[in-house]
Amino acid sequence: MNTFLIFLGKSVAILSKIFNLGSGSTWPGHIALSLNPNFIKQIVNQNNFKIILIAGTNGKTTTGKLIQTILEKNNKKVFQNESGANLLNGIASSLLLRSSILGKIDYNFAIFEIDENTLPLILNEINNPDFIILLNLFRDQLDRYGEVNTIAKKWADAIRHLLPKTTLILNADDPQITYLGLHLKGVNVKYFGINPKNTTEKIQHASDSTYCPNCGHKLIYDIVYFSHLGSWHCNNCRFTHPQKTFTSSPIYPLSGTYNEYNTNAATLLARQIGIDDKKIYPALQNFKPAFGRQEVLNINGRNVQIFLSKNPTSFNESLKTIANLNANNLLLVLNDRIPDGRDVSWIWDVDFEDFSSQFKNITVAGDRTFDLGLRLKYAEFKNFQTKKNLAEATNVALEKTLKNDTLYILPTYSAMLEVRKILTGKNIL
Amino acid sequence: MIHNTKYKLTIGWLYPELMSTYGDRGNIIVLQKRCEWRGIGVEVLKLDLHFNLNQLAQCDLLFMGGAQDKQQKIVSEDLMKKRNALQNRIEDGIPGLYICGAYQLLGRYYKEAERTIIPGLNIFDLYTGNPGLNVSRLIGNVAIEFQGVNSYSPSRCNHSYTLVGFENHGGRTYLGKNVKPLGKILKGFGNNGEDGTEGAIYKNSFGTYFHGPILPKNPEFADLLIKVALEKKYGSPIDLSPLDNSIEMQARKTIANRLNVEL
Repeated sequence: MNTFLIFLGKSVAILSKIFNLGSGSTWPGHIALSLNPNFIKQIVNQNNFKIILIAGTNGKTTTGKLIQTILEKNNKKVFQNESGANLLNGIASSLLLRSSILGKIDYNFAIFEIDENTLPLILNEINNPDFIILLNLFRDQLDRYGEVNTIAKKWADAIRHLLPKTTLILNADDPQITYLGLHLKGVNVKYFGINPKNTTEKIQHASDSTYCPNCGHKLIYDIVYFSHLGSWHCNNCRFTHPQKTFTSSPIYPLSGTYNEYNTNAATLLARQIGIDDKKIYPALQNFKPAFGRQEVLNINGRNVQIFLSKNPTSFNESLKTIANLNANNLLLVLNDRIPDGRDVSWIWDVDFEDFSSQFKNITVAGDRTFDLGLRLKYAEFKNFQTKKNLAEATNVALEKTLKNDTLYILPTYSAMLEVRKILTGKNIL
Repeated sequence: MIHNTKYKLTIGWLYPELMSTYGDRGNIIVLQKRCEWRGIGVEVLKLDLHFNLNQLAQCDLLFMGGAQDKQQKIVSEDLMKKRNALQNRIEDGIPGLYICGAYQLLGRYYKEAERTIIPGLNIFDLYTGNPGLNVSRLIGNVAIEFQGVNSYSPSRCNHSYTLVGFENHGGRTYLGKNVKPLGKILKGFGNNGEDGTEGAIYKNSFGTYFHGPILPKNPEFADLLIKVALEKKYGSPIDLSPLDNSIEMQARKTIANRLNVEL
């Protein structure tokens, strides 16, 4: 049965490539799963590669790529599902496309980034993965995911039955994530965080988990890094930030506090695998970002850097990071397609007010150009231009960018794919 | 832009920390800026958990947003203790905007899927039932014909206009006799997806399922709240100076075009 499915899936992938149909990273798996719902389980059980699952609202793709880079630098054979193809069909496709016609997969490691809602489903198929990294939970696409608490609850139920074989790597600074490790018996739990800095920031507006996940009391924060991530404790039930937390990769290949988390998660995982620090760091040094995640392109003598910004926290962190890089030129693109979330209310949770006089030229585009324009207007931005057509907007933004200067593009997910296609002339997914 | 005038408003933002999930803060920003741009002094009082009843007495306009279930439970316990004070203000005609969870909370009760009945504040004559996780939530862009404020208000709005937004709710709300709907559904689901109504008006209080948030793309509605608040406070008819609403109209038009609704 699976031999036939693998043959069929590979043919579909080839055809989709020839005819440039897109979705080549999900169709084969979709077909395989609809004909054999146990496809993932069977292929995984038939092979010996180690499995790393990565879930969280922000940072999945970058963390996966960091781990892949470290492992490959250390001569491991690694495969990963396509970024964004992180539902069951994407995982099935990824397995199918790497396997021989008999279902044999000749790799040492599989890294799967998993959609928040899919984590419980994938744990039904892959009962005891070697590693699970849980990065964070922020409000994101409430129309699709529902509330942060709902997802946290689903995750807690899903990981309850893990076996000691699994190592859980959790973000100590996110109370909801730390809490997931609290009552787990027999599972190896490791924590990562970031190095405490002297600056104490106020809790940002879009914070979701400032109440104790254990007893419901308001948490005390000694330090806030961003959103609800920080050094916290509960005065009521004494639930506290874990003491032993890995916080210090010596090299952070990407800008932004959020990428310190991604790097520390990847480094901690590599250490757990048994890779020596000396062999981790050179790999980090050579790291190339995943598409749209601080990826740099050169267009007509101008640098273009794309910062995927898909929810309040990721938008806030992108703005903060590019402000630190002294950005002058911005293109903001807001779409409201299914991968972006149909509801664009979240732009009002982004702290634009902190940046109203920070940037010289701002161009606003996308399906919801005027919603974003409206947001900037009410944040008292004066120097922005709205341009509904993305290709035109990209040209305008590039024209305003001086030679040797950088244009920073902050797009939502589908907008990122679209703007990248305009800039490179290539379709990625 | 800002010039001195004799007018000043105090906006009470109920539970900003707990009841603010869907960009609800946008409503406060819009009310605040549209006052400031006209030179109307404005202060936003954050009425968080365990707020003082004196603070409620100082407010000229109230706002409360939606929340996650867990947060809503905490708020509902706190607000139950302050129910009478809030009811007095609402009965007295203080204008207010109550979104989603807040709107449901002001009703008589909320019936959960497992048939547990959670009592509401019983200020608005309406109730909400949740058919459970197996029945779809009502999600999507929505447009209604806003029928204006009725005779309860000193300021009359004599024309109807279209309001657009985004709805996302599991609960189905049914209106009683003592409230009027905020508007008639043109596209989308509204209160319950059955009777063609959306939201509720009681005295000068407005309840609605509109996120989006509601006020940025519907500036006339924002201005109506400001106007009613000023008239109520100063006791005489007040005309607000016009503002440039061109981006607002373009944003509204984007949704109207998508829904095939004429403006």
